Amino acid sequence: MSIRSIIYALLSVAAILLPLVAPPIVNDWTLRIGSLVMLAISWNLAANAGLISLGHSAFWGLGSYAALIAANKYGFPFFAALIPAAIVGAVAAAGLAVITGRLRGIFFAIATLALSEGLRVVAVMTPGLTGGGGGVFINQSLRPSTQFVAIVTSVCAVAFAYVAYLISRTPFHYACRAMRNNESASQMLGISPLRFRIGVLALSGGMASLAGGINIWYSGFLDPAIGFDLHVTILAQIAPILGGIHTLPGPIIGAFATVGLSELSRIWLGQQGISLLVYGLILVISILYMPKGIYGAWQSLMTRASGGRSRQRLVERTAS
Amino acid sequence: MSLFLQCLADGLLLGGLYSLMSIGLSLGFGVTRIVNFAHGEFIMLGAYGAFFASIMFGLDPLLSLPLVAILISLLSIVIFILFIDRVLDAPHINQILLLFGIGLVMQNVAAILWTGDARSVSTPYSLTAMEMGDLLVGHGRMVAFGVAVVLIIALLWWLRSSELGRATRAVAENGTAATLMGINVNRIYMLSFALNAALGSATGAISSFLLTITPFMGFHMLVKAFAIVVLGGLGSVPGTIIGAFALAFAETAVGYYVPDGIGWAEGVAFVVLLCVLIVRPRGILGQAVEVN
Repeated sequence: MSIRSIIYALLSVAAILLPLVAPPIVNDWTLRIGSLVMLAISWNLAANAGLISLGHSAFWGLGSYAALIAANKYGFPFFAALIPAAIVGAVAAAGLAVITGRLRGIFFAIATLALSEGLRVVAVMTPGLTGGGGGVFINQSLRPSTQFVAIVTSVCAVAFAYVAYLISRTPFHYACRAMRNNESASQMLGISPLRFRIGVLALSGGMASLAGGINIWYSGFLDPAIGFDLHVTILAQIAPILGGIHTLPGPIIGAFATVGLSELSRIWLGQQGISLLVYGLILVISILYMPKGIYGAWQSLMTRASGGRSRQRLVERTAS
Repeated sequence: MSLFLQCLADGLLLGGLYSLMSIGLSLGFGVTRIVNFAHGEFIMLGAYGAFFASIMFGLDPLLSLPLVAILISLLSIVIFILFIDRVLDAPHINQILLLFGIGLVMQNVAAILWTGDARSVSTPYSLTAMEMGDLLVGHGRMVAFGVAVVLIIALLWWLRSSELGRATRAVAENGTAATLMGINVNRIYMLSFALNAALGSATGAISSFLLTITPFMGFHMLVKAFAIVVLGGLGSVPGTIIGAFALAFAETAVGYYVPDGIGWAEGVAFVVLLCVLIVRPRGILGQAVEVN
């Protein structure tokens, strides 16, 4: 066990235990950051395979509604309600993978954008199941304390990071990367794009909907506009891009940075709509000037610091 | 029977608006191969342009439309030079996210400048209607349909007959070959993006007296425009018109014949999109879209 992995393990334990000792405001931050870490890791997994989701709120909302319906209609307690939450997102995402099977990435992006919008309409139009446009509260008697939800969020965020790490060491990860770079070439090497797509999306969708399923126990209230909010979609893509797309630490760094920036912009500028404007600016600036995100910038800084201009050039050459 | 005729008339009028709404998106994609995820925001800006022209100068949206379209296409040229020009050769991921980000910025600048209040423009013709036997047809929608038809015919004529229009079609067909023929491909890219914005803002201007104007109206229209463009075939202008009318008729039919149909009609676009992706992903008249 290297020093680095010990540090990571300690940080993870600290993140999990934080809500136990810290004041209530920290619960709120833990929940926001933890949820965003989950969403960002989920989004980044799909992006690793070249699939850009513009509708992560679809999975988030599905998970929220699944947990809420399981609790309200069938009396599922906290943990039991998370099972249908995770499954429903995974199934929806796998279905989307099958449908957009052999199409270019653009179609996947368009389909996810429309999926979220379509689900919102369904949620409004089926009040018997979802409570309709007026929204519905989750069964208060089943609701655990905020502190408990915060701890579960931290545990899941750490677990997701670990899953992402494990995946990055398997052939699955390399297959996804090959698909992202050149799908036909990867196919010639014996990778079945459809099967990998279904796998990676089921995992990604399940993760996002589990995050939504946990979060509903914290927020307690759900209506279609909240469940399938564009905000979630935007956050899910901002965090990995700001932190460093296609990297392991990127989504986590990005989640912290995004929540930090949104808090700061709220405190300093304090106007409605300003945080979304900041997100938009982050997106544009990152893509144009920092396409590898904070982590990528840090890495190239380190490479330069360790004296290796030639080494960096070598790295770039081998990468391209 | 009269219900059927009414449904047909409403679908037809809506189809005109939808054609204009999505034709720019389709043209832009056909030429630049970039999907304009900020298209909805140009519609929104067009609607606000018409709104402010109406309350500040008392201009009718039909009169302010050319002015609004020109101003917004100038804005789009600035956006093109500053941002899009730099990602023309970048991976799809960057293009999609960049345009999405630009749309987000435009949407929220609008929300901050003009608040999220719903507005609308009232014109002498927006609240009156014409009766033809059993049919009841709003004048506003007929005017909007007329404007859409005129603009679309003008666009098709321009693409067919003018030197630049032919160059645009050439670039859409094969960018490399067009370069070899001495066409400045980058200029055509810029032109088609500006046209995309102009058509989008024209849609906004004529919907300013039909729909409520909010900073977020563009997003809902974007999803519909995507469904139409995918249905017609990405990049095919005639396909887009067919797709627009198909979606318009489907939505109107659902609105009239399905219980609670008005609400469900909003989801038709998504169902259409899903079905097209399953059955015929290249759309009605589109080119091949499979990975190759």
